[in-house]
Amino acid sequence: MTRMPPRINAASARIAAAKGRPFSASPVLAPKLSVWRSRFVLFTLFLAFAALAGRALWLQGISTEFLQKQGESRYARTLELPATRGKITDRNGQVLASSVPVKAIWAIPDDVQDAPKEKLHQLAKLLDITDAELNHKLDSDRNFVYLKRQVEKETTDRIAALDVPGIETRKEYKRFYPEGDVMAHVVGFTNVEDAGQDGMELSSQKNLAGTTGSRRVIKDRLGHIVEDIGAIREPHDGRDLTLSIDSKIQYIAYTQLKEAVEKSKAKAGGIVVLDAKTGEVLALANLPSYNPNNRSILTGAQLRNRVLTDTFEPGSTMKPFTVALALDTHRITPTSMFQTSPGNMTIGTATIHDSHAHGMLNVAQIIEKSSNIGTAKIALQMPPQEMWEMFTTVGFGQQPKIGFPGAVAGRVRSFKSWRPIEQATMSYGHGISVSLIQLARAYTIFARNGDLIPLSFTKLSEPPVGQRVISEKTAAQMRAMLETVVSPEGTAPKAQVPGYRVGGKTGTALKVVGGKYVSKYVASFVGVAPMSNPRIIVAVMVDEPTAYGHFGGDVAAPVFAAVTASTLRAMNVAPDSAVTNIVIPANPVQESM
Amino acid sequence: MLVICALSLVTAQYQARQLFIELERSQSLARQLDIEWAQLQLDQSTLGKHARIEANAHRDLGMVSLTPERMQYLTAGAQ
Repeated sequence: MTRMPPRINAASARIAAAKGRPFSASPVLAPKLSVWRSRFVLFTLFLAFAALAGRALWLQGISTEFLQKQGESRYARTLELPATRGKITDRNGQVLASSVPVKAIWAIPDDVQDAPKEKLHQLAKLLDITDAELNHKLDSDRNFVYLKRQVEKETTDRIAALDVPGIETRKEYKRFYPEGDVMAHVVGFTNVEDAGQDGMELSSQKNLAGTTGSRRVIKDRLGHIVEDIGAIREPHDGRDLTLSIDSKIQYIAYTQLKEAVEKSKAKAGGIVVLDAKTGEVLALANLPSYNPNNRSILTGAQLRNRVLTDTFEPGSTMKPFTVALALDTHRITPTSMFQTSPGNMTIGTATIHDSHAHGMLNVAQIIEKSSNIGTAKIALQMPPQEMWEMFTTVGFGQQPKIGFPGAVAGRVRSFKSWRPIEQATMSYGHGISVSLIQLARAYTIFARNGDLIPLSFTKLSEPPVGQRVISEKTAAQMRAMLETVVSPEGTAPKAQVPGYRVGGKTGTALKVVGGKYVSKYVASFVGVAPMSNPRIIVAVMVDEPTAYGHFGGDVAAPVFAAVTASTLRAMNVAPDSAVTNIVIPANPVQESM
Repeated sequence: MLVICALSLVTAQYQARQLFIELERSQSLARQLDIEWAQLQLDQSTLGKHARIEANAHRDLGMVSLTPERMQYLTAGAQ
């Protein structure tokens, strides 16, 4: 509807009001305002609009992203999806290491300071520290202080029940090792950050560690997750690791070694059991050991994985390699005769000895009686280079490729600098250094038909391909010789195993300290069983035995016998010998050093 | 028409939230069970420790180690 304009003559009305003057001629309007004033108002208004437009442009165009982010942060949250570290199991699936979620207790010191004394006292008690220690930890300018890490669930629940202000928890993982000290050196351990520090935990860190994922979600006022936004980054749990270790055999090896080390009052010991068919390490134990679940008191000696990181002069356990090389190159036969009387032999300026004069010995007897002179005479028929090549091929002086931290190469000097006396002593294992695992692996050439296979700490699905070192015939001849060592006439009658034919070689060597021989011994034994179809290789090393003799045949051989008997039974290997009563002579042949 | 659409959108959204909560809950249950499983495996290993079995066999059951004289082997296929 339109309102009708009033029917009044506007002009006449104004004239009336202005005493007959027209409006436009009103004197009020007469003073001319300067133009700039209206321009100024116009400009200001325009400026205000421009500012608004600019602001709009700023908000919509340029800082949109920032603002959207700010808005989102009011309701969207990124959740971290933790990944669990993979489990380590033995070859039969028994868990050797597993992660369990625990809590880290942390505090905002300023908030905690306000808490009543009584509660702080209880807190300290639950954390297993004194009040003073707690106060010391809280006396900090930072606003994040760890009070204790890896606290188990029951304790955290009780701390939560205390309801101390400023005490928070954070989820983390703790690694548990059910087998404890038996498995310590193989499995290793992790630190509080769940990163591997030693053993397989360290060498397989990449595979075991998972990658944490994350997801963006919308949370409502009460903290419930309402919706996912964006794609979820899935967490990837660490892969489980199946070791080649058999926990049963490991236990057998560890307990037998422990018994021997305690009985002979030795400083340390090591044992390794290999599967001769696949090269898998079935057991690897060291003494002294430690409990990986409680590492508060830990010494370097306990941590040392002697089988891999300690080298020693092997002594007579090296003789079979010298003899095998001579046999393989047709320089001798098992029945070649050598004169070992009068029990000592001078090469250059040095003299080497046998424990006593054995007279004329054939090659088999040289191994059986462990004659240094016999072995040296065989060795001196061969050029140094060939011997060096033999030692190097079977892995001595070479870094073992087994994927285990800290494995050492040992030392075999270049053949170019060998003097005849050195060649002679090296033929029976002096003047070179090896680790026990190298020695055990080298014996695969005798246990198998002359080929060398790589070792593995993880379970294999198929046996590896070997590399031929000596002929099948030589390997068979060597096995026959090794079997004579454990006969009542040999140096290691105590290595006999009831029901099984076994063979091996003793080793006894003086230790080298600061470049000089000292009267401390390393007794060792490396053996193969059962002889009819070798399945396992057992290498034992006892460091500085002081009671009940120091010879490999007395200290290390009984460990071999006990471990082999139990292991073969555990592996369901049929016995290959009817002999069950073992004859151990009162005074067995003493090994030469 | 518009009202019907709006209402169905509301219901759909509501149902989606409900289902999502259910999914969330099931997932956390799965995680919980996973943890429990790991814990039980660990317990099994701890309790099945060879040292413990041997000690129990010796002490509680009075068992002794096998000696060769008391062993008899049966060969498959033999009489």
